[in-house]
Amino acid sequence: MALMTIAEALRQAIREEMRRDPRVFCIGEDIGIPGGWGGAFTVTLSLADEFGHERILDTPISELGFTGIAVGAAIGGLRPIVDVQYGDFLFLAMDQLVNEAAKMTYMSGGTVKVPLVMRAPVGATRRGAQHAQSLEAFFTHVPGLKVIAPSTAYDAKGLLKSAIRDDSPVIVFEHKLLYGSKGPRKEHGALDATGEVPDEEYLIPLGKGVIRREGRDVTIVGKLLTVYRALEAAERLAQEGIEAEVIDPRTLVPLDKELILESVRKTGRLVIVEEDNLTGGWAGDIAAIVAEEAFYWLDAPIKRVSAPDTPPPFAPVMEDFYVPSAERVVQAVKSLFQ
Amino acid sequence: MAIEVLVPPLGTTVDTVTLVKWYADEGETVQKGEPLFTVETDKATLDVEAPASGVLRRVTAHPGDILQALSVIAVIAAPDETLAEKTGVPPSPTQIISPTPVSEASRAATASGKRTRTFISPRARRLAERHQIPLAELQGSGPDGAIIERDVLAYLERSVAPAITPVAQRMAEQAGLDWRQLQGSGAGGRITREDIEHALATPRSEAQPPVSPTMAGTVNTPIEVIPLQSIRAAIAERMVRSHTTTAPVTLTAHADATALVALRQQLQQDDIDVSYNDLFIYIVARALREHRRLNASLDGDTIKVWQRIHIGLAVDTERGLLVPVVYDADTKGLTQLAQETRILIARAQAGQSTPAELNGSTFTITNLGMFGIDSFTPIINPPECAILGVGRINRQAVAIGENIAIRQMVWLSLSFDHRLVDGAPAARFLRRVVQLVEGPHLLMA
Repeated sequence: MALMTIAEALRQAIREEMRRDPRVFCIGEDIGIPGGWGGAFTVTLSLADEFGHERILDTPISELGFTGIAVGAAIGGLRPIVDVQYGDFLFLAMDQLVNEAAKMTYMSGGTVKVPLVMRAPVGATRRGAQHAQSLEAFFTHVPGLKVIAPSTAYDAKGLLKSAIRDDSPVIVFEHKLLYGSKGPRKEHGALDATGEVPDEEYLIPLGKGVIRREGRDVTIVGKLLTVYRALEAAERLAQEGIEAEVIDPRTLVPLDKELILESVRKTGRLVIVEEDNLTGGWAGDIAAIVAEEAFYWLDAPIKRVSAPDTPPPFAPVMEDFYVPSAERVVQAVKSLFQ
Repeated sequence: MAIEVLVPPLGTTVDTVTLVKWYADEGETVQKGEPLFTVETDKATLDVEAPASGVLRRVTAHPGDILQALSVIAVIAAPDETLAEKTGVPPSPTQIISPTPVSEASRAATASGKRTRTFISPRARRLAERHQIPLAELQGSGPDGAIIERDVLAYLERSVAPAITPVAQRMAEQAGLDWRQLQGSGAGGRITREDIEHALATPRSEAQPPVSPTMAGTVNTPIEVIPLQSIRAAIAERMVRSHTTTAPVTLTAHADATALVALRQQLQQDDIDVSYNDLFIYIVARALREHRRLNASLDGDTIKVWQRIHIGLAVDTERGLLVPVVYDADTKGLTQLAQETRILIARAQAGQSTPAELNGSTFTITNLGMFGIDSFTPIINPPECAILGVGRINRQAVAIGENIAIRQMVWLSLSFDHRLVDGAPAARFLRRVVQLVEGPHLLMA
């Protein structure tokens, strides 16, 4: 067992997979330049020392270009791990991800595989509207992509290793406040997501969620940062006699639907917390699934706690208002009990 | 052609009913003859069938609403049929009362944004339906006053009484102890005599309501607040009406029931299982044939002396006092009476009595013998003239000539309305009942 931050756990996962499989390589902006940070949040720091610049490939600022290279390499039999500095830049690579990577296996009748991993930092961290978005719903919407969102070091390593070995394109959303990045890349308001990671190898299968806290009165589903907001809310609610069950799906596609449904069947109440905008978000999709499949178990309306329908603001005080807080979760839960 | 959905008239004494639930929502297709809604009268709940097939539209009544008999609460029409404006269809010949103020009020309230419907969560509805709880009896405590699971659970907790042995129940009731709050220690959690003794011996145990600091002062708080509605309200209304509008007199007589007890034993040996209630119905109905003035009702300024003799039998049920009626009791044999009363009592206790089963009695019998009561002053069941209270049949030493003998004695208490009949005729009737109890062979004469 070793204590690791999420950034370290991701790095360890990449290192192990690169050692295990020579087809695995990393590609992105400033991920291996000497004296650099190892990508924007230190995940690939020092990997070039071991694997060299042929497998830790630095590129110009050209998201569509290097994503296209990675898609081609994946089709050709390699297993690229692509790094965008900020998830917001994925829009530049949208055509390669949505029109090519996601559809190629279907269009080829299953003969072409695209074993690509795209890593993307998300979350509002004092950087304004274009370096702050939570983009999960854009990608959970696209058939052919798998989407994971690890919120602990243990999960980050186990899920990333599974993603690298998966033959489908997998988008990995990593939250900037959870990385545990150090030095100049330490984020304002970061949470300590340091956790124990086994020395021996392990994998976490895609599509399996976890219950972070058991409770009988209300189910709170969160992902990434909002798992921690939900846990904090649950602690406060417990002081008022409301026992919240907190669920972290970990994988958004494929979703561990049954875990959520089972919890709602127990508690009769559901609150979904996410940092994305309300309209068309992932929370709405979870609400719809539960309304369709567990309606008769509900004892109260389903509540979504999301960011407002505006871009993430730059002013710190406004950003604090914008990102769902534990207090908002507490209020949402209490409204279900009146 | 749109067909109106009317609140059915449910007997002579029922002119308002409470809507319990709809089986179909507005806009849904309904089939003629299938249950469309449930109403609760002061005595019973019953389903009302759809009068036609079509789409349920223009629903103006909601669960919990009080409805006038014969008011229109919805229409059944073709889905594309154009309904007339305002209150819709013109009144049909059967309609006597125009749409009730209740539905008008609820419409106005809806228009002003105030919610008149009671919402219930899917989870709570599921639970309530599983336990067959009428939704109208639930109080919502959830968001917006909606009924949620905890409200149904609270209802169940209140209504599910633990099992108790007969001895323990009698002890508790004699002591005025609410045994429903006790934890039973007997087999399967049954409350036993020991539990009652323990509860009585330890007045501050958890079986009792918690002793608050205000106990020493003058402030008192109710342990339970029971809304005066439905059956309880009907009982209250009738009792007060009886008490304030009749001129009751109670006559009591001590009858030697030894022969009656022997008769019953003889019948039972011959596999004819009759209760004392059946025997008293049989006797009273035949005595009434000879004393018609006791088989009468006051209707405004007239006394109606009834031709047919319908005996009401007071039955203690979980929902309160109900009086199912044995029609033409004077024409029926004991076997038939026994069969009918068994069914009527079972249905009353299950809350399944139809209004027809609870209406039309011309004389009532109430029996408290099973509680060990000797004599009491029954309250007349208006608009009837009289009621006979039957006490317990009890072995007693009585003087027979110059000897003392052990006899099965019973007290009979006849309450009658002095406005309808004088004391002497009432006394003659009671004497005849005593005669028949003491000499049941006379019934054959």
